Amino acid sequence: MVQYNFKKITMVPSGKDFVDIILSRTQRQTPTVVHKGYAISRLRQFYMRKVKYTQQNFYEKLSAIIDEFPRLDDIHPFYGDLLHVLYNKDHYKLALGQINTARNLISKISKDYIRLLKYGDSLYRCKTLKVAALGRMCTVVKKISPSLAYLEQIRQHMARLPSIDPNTRTILICGYPNVGKSSFINKITRADVDVQPYAFTTKSLFVGHTDYKYLRYQVIDTPGILDRPLEERNIIEMCSITALAHLRAAVLFFLDVSGSCGYSIAQQAALFHSIKSLFLNKPLLVVCNKIDLQPLESLSEEDRKLVMEMKDEASKTLNGGDDPELANGVLLSMSTLTEDGVIAVKNAACERLLNQRVEMKLKSKKINDCLNRFHVAMPKPRDGKERPPSIPQAVLEAKAAQANVEREKRKLEKDLENENGGAGVYSASLKKNYILPNDEWKEDLMPEIFEGHNVTDFVDPDILQRLQELEREEGLRMEGENEENDEMDEERELSLEEREALAEIRKKKSLLIQEHRIKKSTAESRSVIPRKFNKDKAFTSERMGRDLSRLGLDPSAAINRARSRSVSQRGRKRERSLAIEDEGEGMDIDQPNKKLRMRSRSRSQSRGPPGELVPGEGFKDSAQKTKAVKLAKKAAKKRNKDARRGEADRVILNMKPKHLFSGKRSIGKTDRR
Amino acid sequence: MRLEKCWFCSSTIYPGHGIQFVRNDCTVFKFCRSKCHKNFKMKRNPRKVRWTKKYRELHNKDLARDTVFEFERKRQRPERYDRNLVENTLKAMKKIDEIRVTRREKFWLNRMKVKKSKEKKEDLKELEQGIDLVKAPLAFQEDSTLTIPKAKKMKVVITKPEEERRQMEE
Repeated sequence: MVQYNFKKITMVPSGKDFVDIILSRTQRQTPTVVHKGYAISRLRQFYMRKVKYTQQNFYEKLSAIIDEFPRLDDIHPFYGDLLHVLYNKDHYKLALGQINTARNLISKISKDYIRLLKYGDSLYRCKTLKVAALGRMCTVVKKISPSLAYLEQIRQHMARLPSIDPNTRTILICGYPNVGKSSFINKITRADVDVQPYAFTTKSLFVGHTDYKYLRYQVIDTPGILDRPLEERNIIEMCSITALAHLRAAVLFFLDVSGSCGYSIAQQAALFHSIKSLFLNKPLLVVCNKIDLQPLESLSEEDRKLVMEMKDEASKTLNGGDDPELANGVLLSMSTLTEDGVIAVKNAACERLLNQRVEMKLKSKKINDCLNRFHVAMPKPRDGKERPPSIPQAVLEAKAAQANVEREKRKLEKDLENENGGAGVYSASLKKNYILPNDEWKEDLMPEIFEGHNVTDFVDPDILQRLQELEREEGLRMEGENEENDEMDEERELSLEEREALAEIRKKKSLLIQEHRIKKSTAESRSVIPRKFNKDKAFTSERMGRDLSRLGLDPSAAINRARSRSVSQRGRKRERSLAIEDEGEGMDIDQPNKKLRMRSRSRSQSRGPPGELVPGEGFKDSAQKTKAVKLAKKAAKKRNKDARRGEADRVILNMKPKHLFSGKRSIGKTDRR
Repeated sequence: MRLEKCWFCSSTIYPGHGIQFVRNDCTVFKFCRSKCHKNFKMKRNPRKVRWTKKYRELHNKDLARDTVFEFERKRQRPERYDRNLVENTLKAMKKIDEIRVTRREKFWLNRMKVKKSKEKKEDLKELEQGIDLVKAPLAFQEDSTLTIPKAKKMKVVITKPEEERRQMEE
């Protein structure tokens, strides 16, 4: 059986709202953009999706409604009857049936139109099909909108029905209108039912809960019942009849002995007898209310007789035969105004109900499963001797002493604080109660951190001993090291001279490396200039002489040789001493130095004027030679300007100059690079 | 108040410095500064990061396992306060510190010794090979010590054979 919860039924929207919700959802949750240029299959799919989506949503929502509303046959007959009484079973079923048909219709519509859409050949046609499909579905829903409205009303009312558990302990209160049923329930439970002087104040069932012997009882207040045949009863009375009919409860029939409800005891008795068929198998109590207005003893004879008749009827429902004591318990009197006897009535009702339920349970088969698990063991007394609990004497004394001590009241820390200046002034000494080997140490401040370490990490009872061991170890180690050091000095150390020499060598090496690196890095872009034009004067004979002397050699021989092989000396003929002798006779002895000076200042090998013909060169005349020389120089000029070493030097330093291969042009195009 | 150790670089964290990170499995990581913290967040392994203590100890750069370190141990149960004990502890701490420092230095010297002997051998070789750059072999023959010759002021002897001869003639 499906569990229904009347309070948790989802809201049923009205027809219009329903359509709005579904259509807006379709619009939001399905793709919206489509163009006529799309492939036809895509167009069809687009519209089919919309139709299908709408149908699905309708289906889901309608199914939810159908499932959530209870099936009257599935629920407890009390509720079934109650709902029938309130809403009319047929109308209810019809409404739900309409919803069901609507659901099926919508499914059919969608199937049809999807089939049609499969053959739609243009965007417009597909669109119209979709519009038609959705339109038809919406019309279906609009047609069932009265059912939807009806169901919504029912849902709202159902949610407000009192939550009566048909299976638990229940006490039912019934009787004529205005007899005091609602006042009674107000008294024994926390329910707050309207109590008014007019009849039919209570128009529906009300539930309250009360406790008796650690168990919870439902107390149900019903609207008043009039004495009429069943067919003529109105809905309100039918509610109470239903409750009476279907709930297994203890019934309290209320009797107004004073007649202030407007009905005589005779009428009430008549009602009693007409509905006594409903009291079968239910513990019945006849309760006489309003005895403060009319005590039971001062009733008239006929009234008393009527009351006794009712009592007899009621006692028939007693289980356990005609016990006169119990029989008296069937008729009770109370007054809700003075609260006289109210509790007694409640207790009696609860007791009767409990007993009946227990008996029923015992009779049923289920009890046998549990019964064998119960066993209350009571030890049989051996003899008549009394054996109270035995408390040792010491404990009794201690207890007495404790009581005395507590009466003395020890001095609290709080008192100490108050004596010494109060909360802000006095700070309690937390170290007062320390347990230390020597009480002088109580106020000591122990350092926590020392020289970058935590002191507590080092604290150890045998630290001194370990320290001693460590120091011994250290001593041994030091000795071992000293021996090692003595051995180690065998290795050769460099002397001062050697170290200086090493430094020089390293300096020289690094200089060489640096020079080489500079040369290497500028090799390509550096032009080769003759040594005599070297700016650093690195290839002069003075420099050579200095370098050689630094190496420890005597440079004079080398310098002389260099001098004699220099260009200025090259080509000079050997000195002919004999020739000088021949010529010396004719020379003027008066001016010997002048000639010598002239000779010694003679020019280095000169070339003569540029156009001067030298035989063997292959020129016709000096004009040709000058022209040839000029041409050669002209060609060389261009090459020199380009810093080319000669004709064959075709080095291009920068194969891809950046300015030609990158950047935009201020005017013109950059297609060609 | 406790001095903690940084999880990443193992330096001490003084009060008021650093950040602690607690992971979902309740492990606490303490960092001395944001450098370590950021390295941790980058999921770097301190055993592979060269400047941390863990790396250095793992790769035998620093003294790692020694009896000196066993004196400092985090104790779970506190000892009952005893003034004499604390006094002794403080004195001992000082001495232990000294010993630790000496041992650490010794370790370092040992480590560097290897290089020293290698260096010496290399120096000798270089000296032998490279002396030619500084002192010409000829000079070496004359003076076989390693004294570097000083640069002399050069005096060039100019031979004037013509003049002399001429004068001789005359």
